[in-house]
Order: sequence, then C-alpha cells, then structure tokens
Amino acid sequence: MSIRARRGRTVRWAVPAAAIAVIAGAIGAGPVIAAVQGDPALPERTAEQLLASAAQAGRAGLKPMSGTVMQTASLGLPGLPEVPGMGGSSPVALLSGSHELKVWYGGADKVRFALPGRMSETDLITNGDQVWLWQSDENRATRVKAGSGERGEEAARAHEALPTATTPQQLAQQLLRRVGADTVVSVSNTEKVADRAAYQLAFAPKDPSSLVKEVKLALDGETLVPLRVQVYARSAAEPAFEVGFTSVTFSPPAAENFTFTPPTGAKVEETSLAELLKERRPERGEGFEDAEKLKSEVGTVGEGWTTVAVIPVSEQELTGQGQGEGSSGAGIGAIGDALLKSAKPISGTWGSGKVIQTKLVSALLTDDGRLLVGAVTPEKLSEAAGRK
Amino acid sequence: MSRTPTDAGLAADVPGSRVGGPGGGSRREVPGAELSIVTSGLTKRFGSGQVAVDALDLAVPSGSVFGFLGPNGSGKTTTIRMLLGLVAPTAGEWRLLGTPMPGGVGGVLSRVGALVEGPAFYPYLSGEANLRRYDAADPSADPRTVSTRIGLALERVGLAAAAGKRYRAYSLGMRQRLAIAATLLGPRELLILDEPTNGLDPQGTREVRGLVKEIAAEGTTVFVSSHLLAEVEQMCSHVAVMRTGRLVAQGPIADLRASETVRIRVETPDVEEAAAVLAGLGLPEIRLGDGDVSAALGAGLPERVCAALVTGGVAVRGLAVQRPTLEDVFVGLTGEGFDVDG
Amino acid sequence: MSTVSGKEAVSTEKATRAVPDHDPARGRDQAMTAGQAAGGRPIPPPRAVSAPRAWLRLLGSEVGLTFRRPRNLAMLGVLTVIPVLIGIALRMFAGTGGDGTGAPMIFERITGNGLFLTFAALSLLVQLMLPVCVAVVAGDSIAGEAGIGTLRYLLAAPAGRTRLLAVKYACVVVFCLAAVTAVALSALLVGLLLFPAGPITLLSGGTIPFLDGVLRIGVVVLYVTAGMAALGAVALALSTLTEVSVGAIASTVVIVIAAQVLRAVPQLSVLQPYLLTEWWSGFDGVLRDPVAIGDMGQGLLVFAAYAAVFCSIAWARFTGKDITA
Ligand SMILES: Nc1ncnc2c1ncn2[C@@H]1O[C@H](COP(=O)(O)OP(=O)(O)O)[C@@H](O)[C@H]1O
Ligand SMILES: [Mg+2]
Repeated sequence: MSIRARRGRTVRWAVPAAAIAVIAGAIGAGPVIAAVQGDPALPERTAEQLLASAAQAGRAGLKPMSGTVMQTASLGLPGLPEVPGMGGSSPVALLSGSHELKVWYGGADKVRFALPGRMSETDLITNGDQVWLWQSDENRATRVKAGSGERGEEAARAHEALPTATTPQQLAQQLLRRVGADTVVSVSNTEKVADRAAYQLAFAPKDPSSLVKEVKLALDGETLVPLRVQVYARSAAEPAFEVGFTSVTFSPPAAENFTFTPPTGAKVEETSLAELLKERRPERGEGFEDAEKLKSEVGTVGEGWTTVAVIPVSEQELTGQGQGEGSSGAGIGAIGDALLKSAKPISGTWGSGKVIQTKLVSALLTDDGRLLVGAVTPEKLSEAAGRK
Repeated sequence: MSRTPTDAGLAADVPGSRVGGPGGGSRREVPGAELSIVTSGLTKRFGSGQVAVDALDLAVPSGSVFGFLGPNGSGKTTTIRMLLGLVAPTAGEWRLLGTPMPGGVGGVLSRVGALVEGPAFYPYLSGEANLRRYDAADPSADPRTVSTRIGLALERVGLAAAAGKRYRAYSLGMRQRLAIAATLLGPRELLILDEPTNGLDPQGTREVRGLVKEIAAEGTTVFVSSHLLAEVEQMCSHVAVMRTGRLVAQGPIADLRASETVRIRVETPDVEEAAAVLAGLGLPEIRLGDGDVSAALGAGLPERVCAALVTGGVAVRGLAVQRPTLEDVFVGLTGEGFDVDG
Repeated sequence: MSTVSGKEAVSTEKATRAVPDHDPARGRDQAMTAGQAAGGRPIPPPRAVSAPRAWLRLLGSEVGLTFRRPRNLAMLGVLTVIPVLIGIALRMFAGTGGDGTGAPMIFERITGNGLFLTFAALSLLVQLMLPVCVAVVAGDSIAGEAGIGTLRYLLAAPAGRTRLLAVKYACVVVFCLAAVTAVALSALLVGLLLFPAGPITLLSGGTIPFLDGVLRIGVVVLYVTAGMAALGAVALALSTLTEVSVGAIASTVVIVIAAQVLRAVPQLSVLQPYLLTEWWSGFDGVLRDPVAIGDMGQGLLVFAAYAAVFCSIAWARFTGKDITA
C-alpha cells in the first residue's frame, strides 16, 4: 500500500471517527462541561446552613414551576417478568429501568403530574377542589371527592395513588427526616442539574453493614428546591437509584395544564381518596420510598441506615398463591416467584431461610414465616433474625 | 489458435494511424508525444497477497487502436479497473487523456467510454432505459439530447429494434452490443473495451471488429483487451502483451513484427551441404532439421539463395520464405507458446 | 461533405466540449459518421449542465428505478393493505374483544374515531414492517448494484462515489417518506370510511379539532420518516461492506430485531436511550397536551446522530473501496 493511499484512507475514516467523537462528546458533555466549568458559581455554604435554608424554603412552600423528572433504577434485581396490565404507572415499573414524570406546579392547589407511557398517559390533576385521575389506557377519568380531611392535605396525599409520581422533593423530605448522627454529611457547590447550578449534599452512613454507600441530594442554587436524589450502593459506581429533574423551569405553568374535562366517551367515575388508595393498595409496599410506611406497620430491628423491617408473611402469600383477586395481585405474585427463584438458602442460630441480595436491599424469608428487609448486608439480616 | 494473416493483409486492415507514421489514409496526424493512456509502475496487490498487475508501464498513443493482449488471469481487467479508478493501485501513477489520475476521474471519464469485464445492466429495464440510466450518471451529459444520443448508439450496434425489450430477454450477443452502445453514449476521445467480443458468434465478432475500426477512423483512441491473438492482430495498430501481471512487450504491431527476422527454409535431403551453402552466403542462425535447413534471411534475397543452392548442387525439394507471425514474435519474446486458455 | 465547416461540425454529436483540439479534419469526420448514423437527425449543441441539475437528474433516475422495481412496489402495496386489514378486522370484531387484556387501548379508540387508525397502524408497522421494507431498499442500494455489476458502469460513467452515495441516500429517504405516507394515507382513508370522524381525544385527556388531528398526523409522518431514514443510513453503511445485498438486508433486520429484544430487557435499560428502535414510536408525543416537543426533539437528535455516523461510515468505506464486482 502506497503512503498516499494509506494517508487517504486514514483521512477518510477520520470523518466517521470525528462524527462518533462529537456525538459521544455531546452525550457525555453535560457532566464534563459542568466539571470543567466547575469553578464555584455558588457561594460557599456549610451543610448545616444548607439544611436549615432548605427546610425553611420547604416550609415557605414551593414556587410555581414545571419540569421533567427522570427516575432511574438499577437495583440489580434478578429478571422480572413482564406483568400484563401494568403500564407505566405501576409501581413494579419503579424497580427497574428509566421512567419519566412530568410535573406542573402552579401552587398547592394547582398540581399536575403526567406519566407518559407508550401510546398512553396517566395524569393526576389537582385544580382547586377538583382532583382528577386520568388513565388513557383505560379511557377512565376518576374524580377524587373531597374527603373529611383538609383540602391542601388531601391534594398532597393524592399523589400517593400514583406511586411512580415521585419527585425529588418528596424523596428529599424523607431523606432529611432520616439523617441522624450515624451519617457523615458533606457538601459541594459545583453541581449542575437540569442545566442549573446546584449545591449537593452527600449523606454517607457510618455503619459498614449498610448497603448504601451514600445518598446525594442536589439543591437548586437559587431556590434551594431539591433537584435530584441519588442513592449509591457500595457495590457500584453508578447510582443504584436516582430521581432528578432533567429539565426544570421556575415560572408559573399555563393555566390550561390544570384544566381537565373528561373527554366524551370516557368512563367517568367518582371515588374518595381513601377508596382510591385502597384500590391501588395491593401495589403499595413495594417501592423504595414506602419503607417508611412499612416501618409503622411492622416490627423493626435496629435504627437509622441499618434498620431492618420484620414482616410476618408466608411464602404462599409472596408468590401470589394466596391472593387470587385482581391482576395486580397476580402480578405481585409473579414477581415474588421470580425473586424467590433466585434466593439462596441461609441458616443461623434462628433457624433457616432464603436470602436475596440486590445492590441496595437484602431480604430474608425465614422458614418460620418472617420476612426481614433492609438496606443492609445479608449477615446483618441474619443477625437481626436471631434477635427476634 | 487461428492462423495469423500476412503482414500485407494486416496493413490493409488497419485504418488507424500509427505513431509518427503517415497513417492509414486521410486521417489526422497524431503527434508522437500525445498519449491517451500512460502508466508508470502501476501495481495492484490484492488483499489476498496476489500481485495481479506488477509495475506496468503502458503508453497508448492517441489515435491508435491499442491491443492489450494476455491470457486469462494475466491482469488485463485489473489494469482497466485501475485506469478507470474502480480499483486503487497499490503503487504507481497514471494519466488518462493527459490528466493525472485518480484526481481527474470526474472530469476525464465523461470523455471515456468503457466496457469492463462484460455487460452489466438492470434486468427489469429495457435496453433503452438502461442506457438512459447510465447517461444520467454522467454529470456532463446533456439531458435534452439523451434520446437522440441513445437512438444513435443503439443504431450503431444494431439494437434499435430491440430498444424497448427488457434486458432480461436479451441474448448474450445483444447484451454485449448493448454494453458497447453504452460506451458510445457521448462523444468519446477514448474507448476502453475489455474483451468486447466475448460471447459473440463469429458474425458478431466481425461486426464488433468493424465497429472498432469505424470508431477509430473517427479519431477516437481505442484500447481493447483480448486474449485472442488473431483478434488483436486484425484490429490493432499497437499491442501490449501481458503475462501474469507483467508487461512483456509493447509497441506498434509492425515494429514488433520487424523485431523478428524473416527466415528462409530449405527442404532438402542434403542437410549438411545446404547448411554450408547458407553459411557461405553469410546467413546467420542456421538451424538444421530433419530434412530441412533454415536460416535468418535478413536483407538477403531469396532468389540469390535459391541460385546459390542450385549452384552448390543441393537437391532442393522446397524453398519457403517464412515471414514471422505475431505468434512467432511472442514465442520469441516470452520463450514459450502463447496459451490462449490461460 | 468537405463543405461542412468546422463551425457546423460543432453542432454535431461527436464534436463537443470534450474535444480539446480544433482540428477541422477531425470535425469533418465526426460530422460525417454522426450524420450517417443518425439518419439526418440533428443533435443540438450540448449545454453545460450545472452540477445541481445533474445531481437531480441522477436522483430522478434513482427514484425512478426504485419505484419501478416490482419488488419495491410490492412492498409498498403490502404496507398499504395492512391498515385496510386492521380497519376491517376492527370493524368486524369491534366490541367483541372487550375483555381488556392484551390489545392496547389505542386500537379500541379507533372504533370511536377513525383518525386513530393512522396512529395505531404507524405504531404497529414501525416496529418491524416498515424497518424491513427500508432495510430491503437501503441494504440493496450499493450492494445490489455491485452484485449485478452495474456499480462499475455507474462509477465509470462517471457518477462519482460521493455523489452516487449521496443520491442513493436521498433516494432511501424518499422511499422512507413514500412508505410512511402510504401507510398513513391508507389508514386515514380506511379510518374515515369505516369509523366515525370527529374531534380527537388526546392521551392527556384533552380534545383537539379534527383538522388539528390531521395536521398532527403530518408531523407523525415526518417523524417516522426521520426514524426510518436513520435506519436507512445503517443499512446503507452495511450495503457498502458487501457485494451480496441479501447480506446487508439480513444484517440490518437482525440489528433491528436485536435492538427490539434489548429494549424489552429491563436490566439493559441503560442502553435503551441509545437504541434507534426505542425512539421510533416516540411520536405519541403529538398526542399529548402540551405536545411533548422535548421528547420528540430528542428522538430526532438520536435519528440525526445515527444518520450522521452511519452515512459517514458508508462514505469512508465506499470512497475507498475497490470495485471488483
Ligand atoms: N478481487 C480480487 N481479489 C483477489 N484476486 C483477484 C481479484 N480480482 C482479480 N484477481 C486476480 O488477479 C489476476 C488478474 O485478474 P484479471 O485482471 O481479471 O485477469 P484478466 O482480465 O487478464 O483475465 C488473476 O489471477 C485473478 O485471480
Ligand atoms: Mg478479464
């Protein structure tokens, strides 16, 4: 091969190479540019100051805003079966993959969440005293009647009917409630989230038996609104779970976003919030953020990051043989089956059982009918099982 | 292998001009320096490591009918592909119509008609539509005149009647003609024809030969490859001979022929005596055979030899002047026979 | 004949811009043969052809070839028939399959509004049928010409490698547009014939007027065309790698299927945003309120990225390739 020809070939292939480089650059550019330009655009603040200001900002109420929230989970679960009848709004969907949530916030009584699915959409629209749940794949509009409780609180709780409608704000509240003395807190002021300069608080558990390496919370530099929560497992460099804005605007959304009239031909139903939550109840208790609720219902061992929940349960119940009602119940059962298949036998002074470990959560099902769950190592679970 | 015609016959057959010569009639004069194709050190080594063409130095004079002769697999098609920029040479340089290649491909190839390794057309299109397609590919072809030009080209190859027929339905000979028609779509200064008579019957072969002569008569340089010695000898004014990728000879056919001497052959039972007489006449390269003697005639006159033999008392049974055929030339050049079947 | 002057000879076929010297004798010869062969038909003097016009002419030839090819016409025919079949099936079995399992809601909506047949047909066909048709045309574009040997004559014409590749890709894009439009138009017509028409209920629950809906279908057609054109670039690149068009076509289809499989595996969700197939059905953004411009824009960016990378690969390969077929 002559030198000329070889050089010609090099030059030619440089073109696709450059195209790939530019695109790879564009994909990775966000964090890279942020890091390069990372001279502190935000004034220095200590973690204590930030936490206090954030709490204060939270109490003062959220400013009108809209944006898109991306939720990504790579919990390292064994293969989950596809569950029919469970669209993008199912909590099972939470456990893996990426999910998008659109948020319009015009005030405490003007809120819209939209969960786009493939050729479908689930909307939860709160406008004044009206709360509508719209499920396009069922062509069903559900009007949530005002219950006995206070109106604002009602609206705030309405999103619980939509477990995947999780915003960084909600997670941040739970996180801040948990932070205790067993945590190392650090702060940086060079983060960039959804194109906005942000502070980032990192909470790292001191206890080595925790599967959580650290939890990072990004706060908008200007408004101190939580923009992103990332949970890092000890076993991986990428976040195991992340909820964060990919785009956000702090301006009042247009009023049309909050108006909802059931389209002609749609099934229109009316229900109370309590009923709605109950209807969707079999699906609850699986999500990460629901650990708090489980705690109140079941016994716990330990505290803080290494809290282990102990739930009386049987294998039948888990695999769905005990619950025949409703497709969602069957779906949970199918998942239980899949999980149990990958479980490893374990035994200790307390007896024997099966243990499943994911990146963030371990679960131990003892033969005597207890389910121990926690963000801890299986050894710690076994220890907790022994404590009875 | 077919017999080659005599020198006189060939000279009358070739209307094309010869470099620097007076030309075959009222044709234009070609300056000796003008070369339609020139290559230097052109080499192609394929990925398999095979050297298909090895340091080829070709010089094709403008206005010539240039025969590119070589057995199958000797690198003719590969050379033509390199000339047309279809295959990148491993080494070497070349010019077409005075333009350095491959940089000049875009401008030059419009003036070059090419047939490479047999016809190739879209089977589901008619002959005419096929030509239209190739014409559209030429950026300098005038779309207004395309129908006329296609009509002319088809007429020249005798396909006007089958113009609307699908190529699928063409016979082998018709396909070859269509391929030749495609080379005549525009005004060409150079035609490169790779084995244009492949697959044609004797009648078709004759027609192609006539067509090549006709085109050459218009002043177009024709570079035609062939593995048939006879064909080249009948059509061409110049020839280059390839053997396993190497050029073994090139030049005007007459010059090549002149490089091999005319011999005189004496049939006689008195071999020794005849040889002595020939030696006495000063003829070189005397070869003794079984019942015959031959020697290079050179400038010597056959009648003088005859007289000397008779005077010398040699019993002459037959006397023949052997003018060299091209085959003899090639045997002389390559030291072996020319194997048509590769 | 000797009275034909050099000037007149210029007006004949043989003596043109291509003749570098103005030898009157040569012009005379050419006038003679051209005149004889043409039977007296005169050829007007050739004009200089501008590069864009010549490019368009080659594109016209390419498009003509593509749309005259029986195989391609058959594919377009099948694409047109499928929405008809869906429409008739829904019409005949409407209401009987209301057990709420399996079939996406979008199909149930069709019976209420014919316009939804277009969205349903496109979202169904964009998964495999349309990609296969595009793979056939684009995968065949270079390899097919190489296979039957016409590539060497096009390049010797000289079509120019970059120019030919650009025309080939433009033709692939035209075919993508034609295929998507065929599906959309057929679905639109059948939908309007068999089902009621009227204002459209969006996925977000809002309602827009009928004409607005037709406009949004236009947007969808363009979006899906862009998605298919990106696949066309992949197939084109594969097409420059082989002389067997079936190879290029089959590998493109395999890539599509592999991407669809990857898409279905939740553990590989990190990969999903980079998969071409993930974005093909992203046109449901037009059925949201407000229109999800951001999502569709991201889809278009992905398509553009794929097209840029694979077109440049095709170019690098094709301009440096030995044409030995
Ligand atoms: N694409 C290719 N790859 C490898 N070898 C080739 C290729 N094309 C031709 N050759 C080899 O190069 C030599 C010359 O071939 P070719 O130019 O076709 O000969 P000709 O046209 O004189 O019959 C042959 O030995 C042939 O096998
Ligand atoms: Mg050959």
